[in-house]
Amino acid sequence: MLAVENLHVSVGDTEIIKGVSLKINLGEVHAIMGRNGSGKSTLANVIMGHPAYEITSGEIKFKGTPIDEMEVFERARAGMFLSFQYPSSIPGVQVGTFLRKSVSAVRGDDAPSAREFRKELKMHMEALDMDKSFLSRYVNDGFSGGEKKRLEILQMLLLNPKLALLDETDSGLDIDALRVVADGINSITPNAGCLLITHYQRLLDHVKPDYVHVMIDGKIVKTGDAELATKLELRGYDWLEA
Amino acid sequence: MMQYPQISIPPRSEHLWRYTPWKRIHPTKVVEMPDSDPIRISSGVDSNMDDSDEIARSFIHAISKTCKKIILKDETLELDLRCSGHICSGELNIESSGNSTLIIRISGDAGWTGVRILGTVKGSLSMATINDLSSDSHFLRCEDWIVDRDSELEFANLSAGGFLNKSDIRVDLKGKGAQMRAGIASNGYSFKHDDHHVEIKHCVGNTESSLVMHATCNDSSHSVGTGLLTICEGADGSDAGQVFRNLLLSEKSRAEAIPELEVLADDVKAAHGAASAPIDVDQIHYLASRGLSYEEAAALIVEGFLMDAFREIKSEEIVDAMRTRLLVHLECLVNG
Repeated sequence: MLAVENLHVSVGDTEIIKGVSLKINLGEVHAIMGRNGSGKSTLANVIMGHPAYEITSGEIKFKGTPIDEMEVFERARAGMFLSFQYPSSIPGVQVGTFLRKSVSAVRGDDAPSAREFRKELKMHMEALDMDKSFLSRYVNDGFSGGEKKRLEILQMLLLNPKLALLDETDSGLDIDALRVVADGINSITPNAGCLLITHYQRLLDHVKPDYVHVMIDGKIVKTGDAELATKLELRGYDWLEA
Repeated sequence: MMQYPQISIPPRSEHLWRYTPWKRIHPTKVVEMPDSDPIRISSGVDSNMDDSDEIARSFIHAISKTCKKIILKDETLELDLRCSGHICSGELNIESSGNSTLIIRISGDAGWTGVRILGTVKGSLSMATINDLSSDSHFLRCEDWIVDRDSELEFANLSAGGFLNKSDIRVDLKGKGAQMRAGIASNGYSFKHDDHHVEIKHCVGNTESSLVMHATCNDSSHSVGTGLLTICEGADGSDAGQVFRNLLLSEKSRAEAIPELEVLADDVKAAHGAASAPIDVDQIHYLASRGLSYEEAAALIVEGFLMDAFREIKSEEIVDAMRTRLLVHLECLVNG
């Protein structure tokens, strides 16, 4: 599904990603953990095509095709989804309008009719325990941290991606909200690859990763199974730098 | 009281006339009193209005052949002002009481249109004004509102049409507990020049006002937003805020945003701000990551930015009317 090969990424003269390779197959959940500033969010943003980052060498392939030249919206339409750590607010644009436009853009000819869309929306919002008053609010405008993350997951469920990149989706969530969001993630993973970026074990109690990667200073320094996350929770990152 | 020809032409040094001087907005030569066709006003009874010492109001009064009185009491009224001919003008006298809603749509292909409105609010009035004039029209509009004790005026304005527009809107909060909330959205395109001047006077204490103006400036358009907020001596406990924001969409577009405060009381809250910026790249990236092309993303951000001017408007009916009209207007622009 996703193949990242020896990726190097810079912003200006500063190299942030220093040779990352990663393969995510359909149905696999990968978690990336690491300290602040280790390059985790940059990796997710680069995969999604953020224009602020320059790929200096290496390659990213999605479904076997290099995507370096693809625009951000083309990547989204091809089935990639990024749940942002800090989603932008779009004042004046109602959530309902935004979701409808987004679903139409990404699902194209397969986009649901207005009636089907409302039905899907209702189902997913109920699953995420979201009130319908959300739909008339402006996108992420005045939302709490938890509300923003729920909206991100709602979008993921509606867009039904083949690759979900989830950047610290667990931050700002209380215990109940974490479980609801985790259920949302688990519901798409049988049919999608998933890359979770997180600082904490607690999300991984609910979403079982197939692989856990540790990123330090722009490189993946260790890969293991779910046990690695538990070990990191206990011992921190110092032992990996020794 | 002096009549129009005797009133001296205001200098450009005056705040009100800095960006759209009287010579520019006058339909002919300033010494002339042109013949004017009456605006066709869809409702109201024939009435008369006093003259004014202010030059623009006096001019519209002098050339207008129609003046209608509208009395609102716990009702909703949609009022059409149809403007046609070379020069077209009219006056409106509005008295509102109870909880009322007024939607005024100004449309037509007149070369020049002048509208003067005098209004008094007792109770609660939510109103929308939509400038839907043809894209080559010149438009002069003067409004004076008085908001009584414990009364409330909501004022939403969408400037979609016109080529050269000047609006001079003045609101006096006359009685304790009076409130006003204004939202102005101006969409600039082509060579449109859109000038809004809003004066809000807190005549007594314990009054509240809020003004939000959002202007999008595309192509070679020019938006002007000037505000004068006056809190009179003794008007303690007043709470007032003004903010002007401009979204610059092209290199050739221009925007002026100048809020001014004149605070003569001691115990008040008064805030003002102004900002001009291009579209936020993070907003574009966010929407693009949801499958919207850059053009679709920019269009949605523009639509949202304009609608956000009405954030303080509580009447859903007014906000819905503005959204519907704005979407039609933006779609018409895209489709030519």
